[in-house]
Formats: sequence, structure tokens, C-alpha cells
Amino acid sequence: MLSTWRAMNPMARREALEGYTALIPWVIGFLIFTTFPIIMSIYLSFTEWTIIEPPTWIGLANYERMFTRDPLFWQSLKVTLLFVAFSLPLKLVLGLMLALLLNIKVPGMNFFRTVFYLPAVISGVAVALMWMWLLQPDTGVANTLLAAIGIQGPNWFWDRDWALPSVALMSIWKVGGSAIIYLAGLQNIPPHLYEAAKIDGANRWHSFWGITLPLLTPTLFFQLLIELIDSFKVFTEAFVITQGGPLKATYFYLYYFYEEGFRNFNMGYASGLALVLVVIIILITVFLNFTSKRWVYYESD
Amino acid sequence: MRGKSRFLALTMILLLVMSQLGSALAQDSVTIEWWSVAGNELPQEAQEAIVTAFEAEHPDIQVNLTILPESGYDERMTTTLGAGEGAPDVALFWNANWYAQTLDLTPYLEADPDLSPEDYFENFWINWATWGDKVVGLPLGVGANFVMYNKAVFDEAGVDYPTADWTPEEYIEVAKAVTDTEVRRWGGDRPRGPYRAIWMNYGAFPYSDDSTMVDGYFNSEASIAAYEWLWDLVDSGATPTPADIEILGTEGTGPIDLFLAGRLAMATLNQGHMLIAVDEGVDFGIVPEPGFVDSQRFVNAWSLTASIWSGTENPDEAYEFLSFFAGPEGQRILMEQGTLFPALPAVLDEYENADTDYAQAFFSVLEDTQVAEWTAGHPCWRGAVIRSVQDVWDLINLGEISRDEVTTTINDYIDEAQASLEECTPRLGG
Repeated sequence: MLSTWRAMNPMARREALEGYTALIPWVIGFLIFTTFPIIMSIYLSFTEWTIIEPPTWIGLANYERMFTRDPLFWQSLKVTLLFVAFSLPLKLVLGLMLALLLNIKVPGMNFFRTVFYLPAVISGVAVALMWMWLLQPDTGVANTLLAAIGIQGPNWFWDRDWALPSVALMSIWKVGGSAIIYLAGLQNIPPHLYEAAKIDGANRWHSFWGITLPLLTPTLFFQLLIELIDSFKVFTEAFVITQGGPLKATYFYLYYFYEEGFRNFNMGYASGLALVLVVIIILITVFLNFTSKRWVYYESD
Repeated sequence: MRGKSRFLALTMILLLVMSQLGSALAQDSVTIEWWSVAGNELPQEAQEAIVTAFEAEHPDIQVNLTILPESGYDERMTTTLGAGEGAPDVALFWNANWYAQTLDLTPYLEADPDLSPEDYFENFWINWATWGDKVVGLPLGVGANFVMYNKAVFDEAGVDYPTADWTPEEYIEVAKAVTDTEVRRWGGDRPRGPYRAIWMNYGAFPYSDDSTMVDGYFNSEASIAAYEWLWDLVDSGATPTPADIEILGTEGTGPIDLFLAGRLAMATLNQGHMLIAVDEGVDFGIVPEPGFVDSQRFVNAWSLTASIWSGTENPDEAYEFLSFFAGPEGQRILMEQGTLFPALPAVLDEYENADTDYAQAFFSVLEDTQVAEWTAGHPCWRGAVIRSVQDVWDLINLGEISRDEVTTTINDYIDEAQASLEECTPRLGG
């Protein structure tokens, strides 16, 4: 490092200094607002802390309870993993399908793109309340429409079997946000590839499988990671609509974290829960990153 | 030149005097930070009016009112108190876990010639102003749940009005009698959770008073009887489903809209709903939640505890403000502009409709034993144990178990509830 610095000419040194100086505010912010809370959170996970009183060191007791005698930990983890498994593929596929539709060149497409993106910018609480009304079993729009075609709709959020799918359904409503990112990826695909494929006799389906999908894999990979993390963080729906019920069918991991931290005043344990979630997400991300070498194609490949 | 120097010197002296005067004035004027929330019970306008009236009486004390969103108030207070600095001088301390950081008001009240504990409703004082031997705050007002019944609906159905001595079984019978499925009218609503007034009227408590034992309490005869009563109510078809209540109830505080529309003949509502019904011109009556003759009767009642943070640098000024806010002047303004009624009986009597039947029934409910008497002393119930037994409530409300299965279902959750209690009690006490 020092030899590199010595090898630099004065102009390069000055530029480097200016660069590092410009970085200082960010580094300070990162240390204070990111690194410090993470370190504190790790420390607190080994303590009993009611927030009001000073923390007390209890070693691994929080983790011992979590893994050996806490049914709510396993229940919340199960519910969250089920939600991820159910909603993630739906969000990825529907987001891509929507992006393909929004990529068609027809008049007024900018209007449609705006309309589909709107749900992504509406407050989560407002969205939750709206879905409560839509899926109300007796008077909601969904069951009224189903009744019109002779189907008796379920009790949605108020049914142990339907509550989780209902939350997953809600999450799909926001695919407009990811569709815009897919759209950017789609528009980066060079048109001459499609023209060449057309000359070779490829139909639209062949073009999609042979050109669109492979060249979109970097975007797909990015979306997969972002949506995965987002799915693990599901909270508002449980907080506003179901309070984790019925029968803990929507008792999501972050809802449990919130209850432990702020209702049960057990912030040490809640810190442990948060840390375990981070580890789970890191492990899955590393695994996906490892597999990405086999299915993600970059232009440089 | 000389004149210029004199002018400069004079200016300097003047500036010096003015700055000294300014800082002296600033030292005389104290600013109190007051954190609160705003809503129907405690409107922002009423709080501002109280602050204005207080500042007019105390020109040496300024009050900086900060209204926080109610949904994040708990988190904000908890983290601020946990940080040990930056907390407001005066705030709503509605969570018992914060009481450790309140200033004991005992010496202030002893020295106060205008305000004393005896001025307040005794049961509200005990439950909302004291914690052990410590006076943790002053009660800002009173609110309570009771059953409101729509007289027109009862007259139309030819059913007698309920009376204050009714039992839970009679509640179901009356609800069935006034239910009319053809016009989609339910007889009465469901309780919003176990171990509130009706459970306690049965003599049911989730665990022992010393917070050590669930077995024998959660599955006691009284407790099972209360859950079976809920099962009978759900089974009667005379009550809206949780989905109906969730959607049609107003902001989760109670199904007032259904009641006003005549689609719910009886509903467990509160004093704010009572005022709405008065404004809407609905002819209604009030009775306490059902219980049993000759046994203790409980009411789900509440107040807002306003306290002084123990770390305040201005305790005397903070008490001046708090005693004004929670004293007769403040509570009078609150009653006129909000929906909380005064915690001071002398001021409560000034209510403009105090002699009406409904007001008298409401005032009577305020004298009953409060559910908070038990819940406030047992923080682990709301914090941890209720989660472990919530499934029993859900199973009954969803109609997923038969009446015969109520006892076995309750017994299935004893171990989990006991484990929650044992985990929580060393931390939060009990």
C-alpha cells in the first residue's frame, strides 16, 4: 500500500486524497449507523436486556432456548420459509411476465408502466387495510366475484389454511416494482439478436428461451436475491391484519422478533433472533451465488 | 476620532448589558418537554388549549408539546428511556415497564395544597397512578367498556332491555332473541380477548397471583366455564365473526358503526362511542358486561398515566405542568374537547348530561373492580403468556373444536403457557 502510494505522481496522490476525503462522511456514517448497531446487536444477543434496565450477560442462554425449547421460534421460521417458498417464485415469474407485457411497443405504454408501478410506492399499511377489505369473507370484492360464478370463497385471512396464501397473494400485488427492473434488463438485450434468430426461423417462444431468458439471468439473479431478502422481512401484513393468527398461521419471523423486543421487553433474545435471520439469509445468498456460476450469463462470459 | 471611540465603547457596553439581560431572562424561563399522542380521547386541540391555559398562568414556564404517532409511541418511549437520556420531562407512561424511570410524586403531592390523591377515583388512582408504594404519575382521565344496547331494535324484537344484574348466559339468550338473520342483524358482539371483564366475573384468571403456576388456573373450572360460554356464544350464530368485527369495527376500538346502523343490537363499547351515539341521536341504554349476582364484578377500564421522567432537570416545573394538566383545569378542558371523562369525581359531575340514565350507568361502571387491577400487576400475561394460549381462543372463534373438546384443548396448552411464564417472570416480575 505504502509502496503504491510512493509510486504515485503528485497529481495522482492529490486525486487519491480527494477521493478518500470525499469518502470520509460515508465511512463515518457506515461505522456509526451500520457497523456499531451490528456489533451491539451481536453483543446484546448474549445478554438479557429489557431495554429499560442495563443488559446482563447470560452467555449462550438465548440461543440455547431458541434452538431447544422455543416452539414459537420454529413456528415463525416455518411460516416464514413457507411464505418465501410460496411467494418468491410467484413474484419472480409474474414480475417477468408483467415486464414482457410492458415491453410491447403499443401506444400509451408509459401510462400502463406507471399504473403497474404505483403499488410499489403506496404505504404498506394502506395496502394491508385495502386487502383486508378486498378479502373480507362476507362483503369483500374477491368473494363477491367468486360467488357470482358459483364459487364460495374462503375466509382468507381468517382461515388457518388460507391466511398464509392470502398474505402471499398480497405480496404479488407489488410486482410492478420488480417488473420495472426486468424491463430495464429486457431493453438492454440487443435487438439484432432477435433479428438474427428470426432469419434463422426461430419463433417467439424459441427467442424467449434462447435469447431473452439467458440474457436476462443477471437481472433474474439480482431480483432473486432482493426478493428473497424482502420475503424474509415480511412484517406489516402480520402486524396490521392478522397479528400472527389465526392459530399462528401467519406468525412471521420478524413479527415474533417485534413481539419479543417491544411487547415482551426481551431485546436480548430479539437480537439473537435477528442475528439468526441474518445468518440464514447470508447462507442462502452464498449458496445462490455459488450456483449462479452455472446459470447466470454475463456479457463477458 | 475620540467621539467614534466613545460611541464604540458605549455600543459594546450596551451589547454586554443586553446579552446579560437576555441570558438572565432565558434562565428564568424554563421549557418543559411534553410527549403525547393525539386521538379522540386526547385531541391535539385540547392539549394545545391546556398548554395555552397553563402558560398564561405560568409565564415563566414554556411547554413544548410533541405529538407522536400512537402506533410508534411505545417503541420511541422504550428506546429513549433505555438510552437514559433525551427523554421528555413529562410524558404518557402507559406501560408499567417504564414506571421504574418515573419520578416519585409522593413528596410533591404532600406539599401540594390544591391536589391530593383523594381527589381522584380511588380505583383509578390505585391502578393508574401508583406502583407499589410509589406514585408514578397522575391519571389524565377515565374510560371504560360497557354494553350498549339499541332500544329501537329491542322494541322491534319485543325483547326486554337487559339489566345491570344480567349473567353471561342471559347475554347469549338476549343476543339470540334480538338476532334477525333476514335483515342481517346480530344480537351482540364477542369479547375481544380472554381474561377481560367476563372471564374475571367468572372468577377465572390465567395463572396464580404470585405468577408461578398455570396449572389449576388456566384450566380451572371457572376458566373452562368462561371458554365454554364463549363457545356457546360463537355457536349461537348471534354474533359477528372476527372478520366482520375486524373490518366493520372502527379502528379496532369496537363495532360502533354496526351498532349505529342497527345491525348489531348490543355491543361492548366505550365512553367515546357513547358520545358518538348521543350525537347521532340513537336511543340507547348502558349496562355493565354480564357477571354474577353476589360475586365481584369487573370492568375493563383505563386511564392515561402522565408521569415525570426521573432524569428531568426541571422536576418542580414539570410537576407544575403535570398537576395542571391532570388537575381540575386540564381535565375540564379534556372533557369538553375529548372523549376521556375526568378522573376527578368533582369535575365529572360537571358533565352536561350527568343526570341522564346512560351517564349514570357509565358512572356506576367506573366504581367496579378493574381488570387492570390484575393485569397491571402481572405484566407477563400480555407480554408472553397470552401468545402461548392464543390458539385456544382462535380454535373456539373459528368453530374448529366441539364444546366437549374445550377442556382438553385448554389442558394441551398448559405446559407451553407455564414455560412462557417461567421465562418471563424473572425478567418482568409478576
